[in-house]
Amino acid sequence: MIDIEHLTKRYGATTVVDDVSFRVEEGTVAVVVGTSGAGKSTLLRMINRLVEPSAGRVLIDGKDTMTIPEDELRHRIGYVIQGYGLFPHRTVAQNIATVPRLLGWDRRRIAARVEELLDLFQLDAAEFATKFPHQLSGGQQQRVGVARALAAKPAVLLMDEPFGALDPVIRGKAQDDLRAIQKRLGTTIMLVTHDMNEAFHLGDRIAVMDRARLLQYASPADILTHPAEAFVEELVGTTERPFRLLSLTTVQDALEPGSAEGQPVPLSASLRDALSQLIWLGRQALPVTDSSGAPVGRISVDRILRHGRADP
Amino acid sequence: MNTISSRTTASGMTSLRSIPSLDRLGSVLALLIGVALLAAPFITYRANRIVAGEGRMLADALPSKPAVAVIAVVLAIAFCAAFVRKPLVRLGAAALGLAAILPAAGWSASFVTPDGNAFARVSPSTGFWLLALAFALLAADALARLRLGPWARLLALAVAAGAVALLLASGAWDDLSLLKEYANRADSFWREARRHLWLALGSMAAACLVGLPLGILGHRIRAMRIAVLQGLTIVQTIPSIALFGILIAPLGFLAAQVPLAAALGIHGIGAAPAFIALFLYSLLPVVANTVTGLDQVPAAVIDAARGMGLSRRQRLVQVELPLAFPVILAGIRIALVQNLGLATIAALIGGGGFGTFVFQGIGQTAIDLVLLGAIPTVALSFAAAIVLDAIIDLTQRGAHDRH
Ligand SMILES: Nc1ncnc2c1ncn2[C@@H]1O[C@H](COP(=O)(O)OP(=O)(O)OP(=O)(O)O)[C@@H](O)[C@H]1O
Ligand SMILES: [Mg+2]
Repeated sequence: MIDIEHLTKRYGATTVVDDVSFRVEEGTVAVVVGTSGAGKSTLLRMINRLVEPSAGRVLIDGKDTMTIPEDELRHRIGYVIQGYGLFPHRTVAQNIATVPRLLGWDRRRIAARVEELLDLFQLDAAEFATKFPHQLSGGQQQRVGVARALAAKPAVLLMDEPFGALDPVIRGKAQDDLRAIQKRLGTTIMLVTHDMNEAFHLGDRIAVMDRARLLQYASPADILTHPAEAFVEELVGTTERPFRLLSLTTVQDALEPGSAEGQPVPLSASLRDALSQLIWLGRQALPVTDSSGAPVGRISVDRILRHGRADP
Repeated sequence: MNTISSRTTASGMTSLRSIPSLDRLGSVLALLIGVALLAAPFITYRANRIVAGEGRMLADALPSKPAVAVIAVVLAIAFCAAFVRKPLVRLGAAALGLAAILPAAGWSASFVTPDGNAFARVSPSTGFWLLALAFALLAADALARLRLGPWARLLALAVAAGAVALLLASGAWDDLSLLKEYANRADSFWREARRHLWLALGSMAAACLVGLPLGILGHRIRAMRIAVLQGLTIVQTIPSIALFGILIAPLGFLAAQVPLAAALGIHGIGAAPAFIALFLYSLLPVVANTVTGLDQVPAAVIDAARGMGLSRRQRLVQVELPLAFPVILAGIRIALVQNLGLATIAALIGGGGFGTFVFQGIGQTAIDLVLLGAIPTVALSFAAAIVLDAIIDLTQRGAHDRH
């Protein structure tokens, strides 16, 4: 859990982060979005004290970060940046072992952890452990960067545009993988991005920043349906709004009793995917099945469309 | 013909020419070889050490059969340089050429010196030097085209050094004036050699000890970097003789005032000012390259290192210095090669080194004595450059080839 309280950063006369407060709950993902220069990176870097706050404080699991020695604090917080900053003179295994080595873990424990992480990130240890960063593809470097940040099992992970250097196809996969790993490990993540789709895809909460100020901190659905300011509405994109909303909702939430003809839709699918299928098949309704394949009801175009509006 | 086929594949077009194509550098070298053979004397014969000499063409410098053989070999190499493109063949040709003319020079010395004449002197002359130059260039070009790895280059250096050692040990050159100069002062030769190496390597080591911390500070503190680099650049522009002169006064004063300094061998003239001057000269490349090397470490790498909680010291030792190391080594290479050459000047103020022979030789107009000092100096610089380049390549391996 991260508590940000009245956090402020000034450089001379300019304020680049202005009195920002919010809480990231244990085991959730908060995504910070905003225009370039809004102060996102500065906000993130104040959490592991790469930037010293001018005012305000940060609590991690209730503990003021100022009471923890700087290096020790950073050992406990994972940090991933755009470009990853992998050490070019060290192998993948050595890169991942960086923080465990600083913490003085014994060799066997480090080796086991490295192997476990390579496995988690679908990198074959026999092949990749001894490679150098320049021998990896962009996607592989990204995975090593995240693996390195998670090596010492930090409770909190900070990510500054971690997918920014990836092409769109790999980026989607990397986002899915991150989400799956985050769920599995229960890590609390604060992630900075430019990409609205990424924000809606990954965030349990979204923090919208503009010109040093936090405009809104809310769930993705709230951001869409109740934007706090015109700027938030604009940033989210008014034409995309219904579709974003539909992809945030699952078929479960719009389930109707009864049955219908045609290829069944799974209960866990998003409304956006269900609508897509309805349009493609030219039907008004389709049957819905649960994970075991048993029919549980039906989903209709009418019901879906109602979920694409602010007040269903 | 292989020359045409290699051309065809390289350009992807069919060459219509039916005559073998000329290699540009090779044809210049062939011309050089021709001039050396036909228009320049191979050796110079003098009745004694300092009188003017008379040149002898290769054909007159050896008994007729071996002379014809050597000329034939040299001509074949000229042909090879002009028409054959395979680097390995060209390298072999160059080696063969050197293997022919080096002993030939020694042999011709025995051949033209009248029996029992201890005063006569025979030295290699223009023709010999031009041939040696042509073969060395041919070899260097072939080696460059072969793109040898660092280990192979070190091996090539060792083979060349071994061949020279063999030539000298075999006694084939003993009748040449150069080796007669050496024989007359074998003891002082090795003493000055040690002195030369001590001056060059010692001052470079001192420059590393001082320059590395200075470079690290310069990298971190902007104002300091500017002051240090500008100061050292000014030092670098002072001619070496002038710098020695500038150092003589304060060191002389120090020796006079502080008995300990004098006891340690610090005097206004001699090795101390030479050592200090060389040290000052080598500081600039070491400091400048340390600063540059550290500046080149990617910002993302430093940011990640900080973010993971590496302390300043850990960052420096584990990340910044290893990544800057090849650039720092390049600075050390410049300093060393420069020092090996500059140490020659130390002899002017009684600092010793190979320069002793150079300046004695100039004073006595004995060119072979000059060469006795100059040739080892050049060879040392050359070897140092090859060795350090190889080390730089080796340290860069496995690290970042992508910058
Ligand atoms: N060390 C510094 N000194 C002065 N100003 C700074 C410093 N670091 C950042 N700033 C300024 O603070 C503002 C916010 O920077 P920050 O990097 O946090 O923006 P950002 O939201 O991350 O932007 P981007 O999306 O482009 O990365 C910018 O206007 C920047 O110029
Ligand atoms: Mg940023």
